[in-house]
Order: sequence, then C-alpha cells, then structure tokens
Amino acid sequence: MNTMTENKYFFRPCTWIFLLLVGLTVVTWFIGMKQFSGLQISLMVLGIALLKGQLIGDYFMGLRRVSGFWRWAVAIWLLLIGSLISYAFNISA
Amino acid sequence: MKYESQKVAKLYFIAAIGLFVGQILFGLIMGMQYVVGDFLFPEIPFNVARMVHTNLLIVWLLFGFMGASYYLVPEEAETELFAPWLAYLMFWIFLAAGAATVLAYLLVPYATLAEVTMNHLLPTMGREFLEQPTITKIGIVIVVLAFLFNIGMTILKGRKTVVSLVLLMGLTGLAVFFLFAFYNPTNLVMDKYYWWWVVHMWVEGVWELILGAILAFILIKTTGVDREVIEKWLYIIIAMTLITGIIGMGHHYYWIGTPEFWQWWGSIFSALEPIPFFMMTVYAFNMVNRRRRNHPNKVAVLWALGTAVMAFLGAGVWGFLHTLAPVNYYTHGTQITAAHGHMAFYGAYVMIVLGMISYSMPLMRGRELCNSARSQTIEMWSFWLMTVSMVFITLFLTAAGILQVYLQRFSDNPMDFMVVQDKIALFYWLREITGLIFLIGLIVYIASFFVGQDEPEATVEPLK
Amino acid sequence: MIIRLIQFQDRENQMNPMEKSKWPPGDLVIWIFIMAELLVFGIFFAAYAFTRANHVELFNTYQATLDRNSALLNTLALITSSYFVVRAVAAIKIDDNKRCFQWLLAALFMGVVFLVIKSIEYQHHFSQGINLSTNTFYMFYLSLTFFHFLHVVLGMVILIAVALKARAGGYCAQEHTGVETGASYWHMVDLVWIVLFPLVYVMK
Repeated sequence: MNTMTENKYFFRPCTWIFLLLVGLTVVTWFIGMKQFSGLQISLMVLGIALLKGQLIGDYFMGLRRVSGFWRWAVAIWLLLIGSLISYAFNISA
Repeated sequence: MKYESQKVAKLYFIAAIGLFVGQILFGLIMGMQYVVGDFLFPEIPFNVARMVHTNLLIVWLLFGFMGASYYLVPEEAETELFAPWLAYLMFWIFLAAGAATVLAYLLVPYATLAEVTMNHLLPTMGREFLEQPTITKIGIVIVVLAFLFNIGMTILKGRKTVVSLVLLMGLTGLAVFFLFAFYNPTNLVMDKYYWWWVVHMWVEGVWELILGAILAFILIKTTGVDREVIEKWLYIIIAMTLITGIIGMGHHYYWIGTPEFWQWWGSIFSALEPIPFFMMTVYAFNMVNRRRRNHPNKVAVLWALGTAVMAFLGAGVWGFLHTLAPVNYYTHGTQITAAHGHMAFYGAYVMIVLGMISYSMPLMRGRELCNSARSQTIEMWSFWLMTVSMVFITLFLTAAGILQVYLQRFSDNPMDFMVVQDKIALFYWLREITGLIFLIGLIVYIASFFVGQDEPEATVEPLK
Repeated sequence: MIIRLIQFQDRENQMNPMEKSKWPPGDLVIWIFIMAELLVFGIFFAAYAFTRANHVELFNTYQATLDRNSALLNTLALITSSYFVVRAVAAIKIDDNKRCFQWLLAALFMGVVFLVIKSIEYQHHFSQGINLSTNTFYMFYLSLTFFHFLHVVLGMVILIAVALKARAGGYCAQEHTGVETGASYWHMVDLVWIVLFPLVYVMK
C-alpha cells in the first residue's frame, strides 16, 4: 500500500471521475430523501445532473480527446435540455 | 443480370406500371369530382373512384415490391430463384384477382358485391383500404405466403446478406400485418385500433425496411461503395425506423377512443419519424459522393437520390406538419392529410419501385448495364415531370388544407364543410391541372421504354 | 477491485497520450444514432417538464410515491457499469482481449442488476394497480423509465455481441472500433439515466 502515497497516479483519471459521479449521485439521492423542494434546490439538482452528464461525455465517452462538432455534441444536448427543463420549472415555481 | 430466374421480375414490373396508369386515371377522375360533383355520375361514383385509386396504389406497389424482391434476392443470394414457376403462377393469380376485384368495384354495387362474395361468413369488407371482398383477401394471403416462401427458400439456400435479410424482414412484416385485415371486432375502437395496423403499419414500419433494402441494393450496385459501409447505415436506419415508427403509430389513435397516453406517445415518437428518412437522405447522397465508379445508368441513381429526398419531404416533413396531437386536433382528416399522403407514397414507395425498375429493366431486356442515352434522357424528363408535379399537388393540397382548417375549424365563425369546399375550389382545380401534368410525366415514362432501343448503351467517363 | 486498479496503473502510464481526433470514438454511424436517441429523450424530458408545469401539485404528490433508494442503486449500477466499459476499452487498447471480455462481463452484470431492480419497482407499482392511464405523472414515469429500460436491454445486446467477439480474440490494439462503438452507446444509456433520475425522482 506504499504506492498509494508515493504515486499520485494511483487511480487512473476515469476512476476519479467514477468516484466523483458516485459522490454526486449520493448528494442527489440525499436531497431527494430529505424531500427538499423549491426552485433553487431543483436547479441545483439539475446542475449536478448536467455536470455528471458532461463528465460522462468528456471522460467516459472520450469526447475531451475530440475536436470540432463532436467535442461539444453531448454538451450541446445537456445545455439544451438543461435550459428547457429549468425554464419549465421556472414558470411553475 | 446474373441469374436467369431474375427475369420473373419483368412481368411484375410491367403489371405494376399498368396498374399505376389505372391509379392515376382514377385519381384524375376523382380530382375532377372534387370540383364537378356529378362528373361521370352515376357510372363512377366518388366513393368507387376513391376505392379504386387507393386499392390500385397498394396493389401495384405490392407488384413492384414482389418484382424488386424477385430481382434482388437471387443476385444477393447468388443462386437461382427457388421456384420460378411458382412466381409466375402467383403473378397470374394475383393479377386475375386484382383485376376481378377492381372490375367488381366498378360494375357491381358494393352491397351486392358483399352479398355475392358472402361477406357475412367472415365480415371484413367496408373499411378504408380493406374494401376487397374476403375471398380476395384470402387470395392475397395465399399469394403473399407463396411469395415469401419462394423468397425465403432462395435466401436460405444461398448467400445471406444484410440487404436480403432486411428485405425479408420487411416482407414478413407486410404479411403478418395484413392478417389484421381479417380481424374485425364489433367494438368500434378496437376495430379502428387494429385497422391502422394494416396499411399504416406498413408504410410507417415494415415497408420502410423494404425501401431501405432496395435503396441499399441500388446504391451498392451503382456506386461500388463497400457493402459493409452501406449495411452499417441500413442497421441504424432500420433501428430508428422501428423505434419511431411502431410507437409513432400512436398518432392515429388520438381521437378514436383509446387511452390518453397515446396522445403523448403518438406525438413524441411520430415527431421523430422524420429522423430515419433524414438519415436515408444523408446516406444516399453520402454514398453517391463516395462512389468508386461512375455508373452509366444515371437515371437509376437519379431515382435513388430522388426517393431519399422526396421520402424525407413527403413522409418526414409533411408528416410532421400535422402529427402533434394539439395540431392534429384541428387538421385531422383534412386536405393536409391528403397532401401528406400523396407526397409520402410517391416519394417513399412509388419512386423506389420506379428506381428499381429503372436499374433492373434494361438488364432484363438484354442490356449490359443501362439503356441508351436517349432513353435515359426521356426517363429523366419523366422523373422531373412527375416529381415536380407531385410537389405542386402537395403544395396546392396543403394550401387547400390550411384554408379548410381555418375556415371550417379554427375561425371564430366556423363554416359548414360544403361551404368551405366551395371556397377552396381554386386549389382543387390547380391540383387537377398538375395531376394532368403528372399523367403526362407517366406517359413519358412509359415512352422511355420504347425509345432508343436500337441505339447503343450510354457510356460515362470513368471516375478519376 | 483496488488490487486490480493497482495492477493497471502501470500499464496506463505507458500509453501514449492521444492527440485530438476529429471523430468521436467508435463508428461514426453509432454517434449519429446516439444523437437521434438523445433527441428522442430530450423531447421526452422537455415534455415531462412542461407538462409538470401545469400539474405541479399532481406531479409532486405522486413523485413522492417513487422509491428513491432503488433509483439510487440503479444510478450507481449504471455508473459502475459505464466505468467497467471504460476499463474494457482501456484493456483492448493494450491488446488484452481477455481483460476486455472480463470488464464487459462485469458491465453486463451491472446491467442485469439495473434490470432486476427496475423490474421490482415496476412489480410494486403494478401490484397497486397503477398503469399508464392512472394519471399524467405515472404516464410519464412509466413511459420514460420503460423506454429507457428497453434501451438498457438494447445496449446489453450490443455489449454481449462485443463481449463475445472480444472473448474470441476479435479485437486488437490497432482495430477495436467495435468495442468503442458498443461502449459509446452504453455510455449514452447511462447519460440519459443521469438526467432522468433527478428529473423524475428528485426535482420538485
């Protein structure tokens, strides 16, 4: 277990991303379990989801190593649905 | 042409074109009756003309698909057709049954026809597109099963390619969904529900597989692009077609008494039905741009590209126009529907059959690769005449439809149906005139088979 | 698992840093399909959100009846599965068909976990007599999740095909488009759920 302290690359990047995704998921779940509600909370939950989506696009789908349109394909989708959903939640709040 | 038995297709194609002419003639008669109500009355009442117009369309497209399959499958499977004699036999049975049915429509009152053919034993008549006497329907089943058997056995004994398997999938679906023509429950909602599974599940689902397979075949043959590339596209187009088409069918269920969720399902999924058509357009042009050779049969390539574009416009765009439930609430059953129906059928299915005829007919008539330059030029004229007039028919009907929706259903003081019909008569006249031009295009098309037969084949510059 | 991570870290450090490519990993055709699928789900999500705007009370009431614990487990299952697929791609890039196959198998197992949990949820709803016509919220909930459910199934079929080919040694470091194609589709299935989970289960 010495390598853990000596080597800063102990986890490969995708593993860090994986752990981050797990953490963010638990946060979302926690908010859900506590029955928190309201526009700010909803938008925060949505923001977390969009961030997670972008992480998946960048690191899992490997889009950070792509240039041009496809680099941003997932980001554009997230942005689009993100704005539509937040708009819909906004008008009903 | 590599296999002698592919020639079976010729007969089917000739019959298809013949019935196509009949369909257009009855279309013109009906178009006239829109503006001159008693035109040819009482000999050919409107409802009979309509029945003949739509039934002939379906039947000649079936002839076309069968011909296309008989040509395509032996070549893909690299073997002779399993039983050419069966194909010939079924052709004559199908043609005789079709002709007898159409004549019966024209000569005998429909009620009498129902009585004579003993509809009461197994009532299936009297529903749009399914007007055929039960006995004819049984005949269709026999013909289609024999056809499927023939095609299936040919594929089974030969090479199995993605193209022929997709085609077989489409044809099997065609047969399976036709069986719902025999299901006629007394509950009107159930009746309507399953009624949509016959012709509409065809055109929005399984026929698209047939279209995709034939288009892929033509593209493989004319562009020389690797089969793998074309097959990959075929896979995703089919997947998308099935995802959107089958649930998208729900857009027919909005107002027939089905649960409300169909308005959501139908709207969302049918709104996406243009996607596979769009992919098809992108792919057809992409493949032609990446061609490895210049094929001298330019007109076949023109039909292939034409069908991709027109199917997207007619089925995709014009379908989308009125597919969302809140829109369809107003447009349901108006001339908007007619506009969509015309361009979608022409773009997706008429053009692909004509494209296949265009590719294969010269070969079956003893040419090496294609017709003479003159014959091709004339066929291209017919392509543009028919396609442009179909675009205008669609536009005029759309204009008529928009006016109709507004005057009859949307304005503050809605008018009666017949009053509105009078007000939009101008567009019906325009449609009728463009219909005549379409007929001229069709005549030019037929002429292209007889012109320049003794001239040498067209040639092209080899691709640099 | 940690031992596995240790075993792998050396190899990854030897890999050449990849230069930027013009095309996304896998076959371009799958990406066109992915975009089409994302469009379908995007429209579905927007429809949910805007319909909710007109029925806030109803949506909030019935959202409360959903099982967020199951949803958490399912989200974790998909994320983990996605992660395993990433590792499968990494394995094939160093020519290791065997490891690639094992990671894919692990990913498929997580897929099965997802399907089982989701089925239990459905079982619970159906036993209460809930169906598509119960109310608008359940209509959306059932439609959206079931449509996604079918995508999980389709994604698994693709992964199985890739896994079988990997087991037969069908890929190598130079040619592994198939693995990346299957992986990209699977990540899409995950991506959609990542949005679906907060939208349908949490946001109110």
